[in-house]
Amino acid sequence: MALTVQSSAAEHDYRHLVQDDRIHGSLYTDPAVFADEMQRIFTDGWVFVGHQSEIPEIGDWVSRRLGTEPVLMVRNRDGAISVVANRCAHRGTTLCPQNDGNNRNFRCAYHGWTYDLDGTLLGVPGPKGFHKDTADLGLDRPGQVDDYRGFVFANRSGTAGPLSDHLGAGGTDLIDRTSDMSPSGSVRLSAGWIGQRIDSNWKMWPESDHDGYHLNFTHASMARAVPDTYYDEIVMTGEEASESATRAYDGGHLELDFRRSYTAELAWLGTTREKVADYCEALEGSYGAEKAKTIMWDGPPHALVFPNLFLAEMNIARIEPISPGVTVHHHTPLLVEGTDESVNRRLVLQSEAAMGPASFFLTDDAVIAERMHRAFEGAAAGDDGWVDLSRGIEREHIEDGQRWSDITDETTNRGFWHHYRDVMACVVGSRPNSHA
Amino acid sequence: MATVDEPTRRDIEAFVYLEARLADESRYDEWEALVTDDMHYWVPFGPGDYEPGTRVSYINDNRARLGTRIRQLATGVHHAQDPPSSMRRVVSNIEILSAEGDEFEIGSNFVLYEHAVQATGHLRLWAGRATHRLRRTPDGLRMAAKKVELVNSTSPLPNLPFII
Ligand code: FES
Ligand SMILES: [Fe+2]
Repeated sequence: MALTVQSSAAEHDYRHLVQDDRIHGSLYTDPAVFADEMQRIFTDGWVFVGHQSEIPEIGDWVSRRLGTEPVLMVRNRDGAISVVANRCAHRGTTLCPQNDGNNRNFRCAYHGWTYDLDGTLLGVPGPKGFHKDTADLGLDRPGQVDDYRGFVFANRSGTAGPLSDHLGAGGTDLIDRTSDMSPSGSVRLSAGWIGQRIDSNWKMWPESDHDGYHLNFTHASMARAVPDTYYDEIVMTGEEASESATRAYDGGHLELDFRRSYTAELAWLGTTREKVADYCEALEGSYGAEKAKTIMWDGPPHALVFPNLFLAEMNIARIEPISPGVTVHHHTPLLVEGTDESVNRRLVLQSEAAMGPASFFLTDDAVIAERMHRAFEGAAAGDDGWVDLSRGIEREHIEDGQRWSDITDETTNRGFWHHYRDVMACVVGSRPNSHA
Repeated sequence: MATVDEPTRRDIEAFVYLEARLADESRYDEWEALVTDDMHYWVPFGPGDYEPGTRVSYINDNRARLGTRIRQLATGVHHAQDPPSSMRRVVSNIEILSAEGDEFEIGSNFVLYEHAVQATGHLRLWAGRATHRLRRTPDGLRMAAKKVELVNSTSPLPNLPFII
């Protein structure tokens, strides 16, 4: 393993491919880059898996991937959450081919090995044939699993340091602001996930989801079909007029910050207080009038927790790399607890409009990403095919330790790529040679 | 299963075929003229046996949202359908599931080939079951609901920006 990584590190000079104001297009399409990413980002680093509210009952599980590693996130008998490989420890059969379910234990269909919910091997048919201790043959497990406010993350290598370091102040604040949208302080992801399959590289999604520059063009059809969408007042105004901002935090976390441009409370929900009175009262009851007012005005963040968690306002999305040229963008509405269910109905409707393969927004983003991917297919380092990321580089500034700029500036793209460069060139992270 | 007289059955079949052809040919205005004011257009996740809105669907359009969808398609700058996909569907196994007063519930199966010309040029295959609720009006049959249950709706789907 170490040899493979070193030899590919020698082939790819990520400090050259990711420059301060441009990146090379082969980073989207080169299979060797993808292999490096699966190791350095998705194995050696922390990856978002799911939310504890998805598996409320003992034996509930959902199927996920850590990079390309298939895993199950499971509610154990003791109420804790485990993440285990969705791959039998005998000869590797997928244990659970479905998206989700509830099991008392996991029995492999091939030869009947049976595992407890936490991955411990409970029994094998014909045990006398095994001369080694089958107790050692449980399901593979990531080295570290941890959660913050119910958001479960895993680090396969176990060498990435604590989750709190990965999140940092920025990621922690983003998850806090998301969770605080629920009067109970804990969101509920129980409305199901929709997956959108896109024939583009996964990195175009952190970029597209946090690009404040494209809305006038990519989403022009929505501006014409629904002239009064709330995107209007925040972005479709002139370059100088918009109060919104892009922000890049340490650790590759990003935000399109719309808070300063909302001109009414609940603008992010496209409604008024009377329509969701129960929800507003529940927020006041939980947080007090002042904080509730902030929540109602500011709304949820629109942000990336590096590398794969998109806090998509009142949706949660997961960016799942399948291969260099295929990505699945999964989303589920962010439901709230501690109030009347009618607000959740509204959130489901809002989610159906905004995200997914038949939505009004992500369909256009998908086609743009697929066109972009096509333009770099076959690109090799040393070719033409640089991607310019310079917009706003001269006018961004540091505030509270974060990099800020105008909503249309590529501060988010640069924040993503510069962190990516540090991870891929092993400047940060847990790899043994990274601290040498 | 319901029995209706022959002319009614022919009208119903003709309507289902017309609706399919207008959708195939992206003739949005003519397609929209087929729907009633209380139209519901639904593409559920998994079997459509749940109350829409209680869990997330691919499409769950009331008449107003369907209007937005069609207006977006008609802007000419909806990149996901610019240019429109080239499509042909085969509709078969038409059955009249119920007939009550002026309303009929129709089941049918379809296979749709889509040439996704916008970016990849892939030939995409869509298959599923459509359930139409048709209503007899002074202007002829109109569609009050269409539910499309895709056979692979529990797996990630590519772009579905056209009328299915
Ligand atoms: S592969 Fe699972 S029991 Fe043999
Ligand atoms: Fe977009």
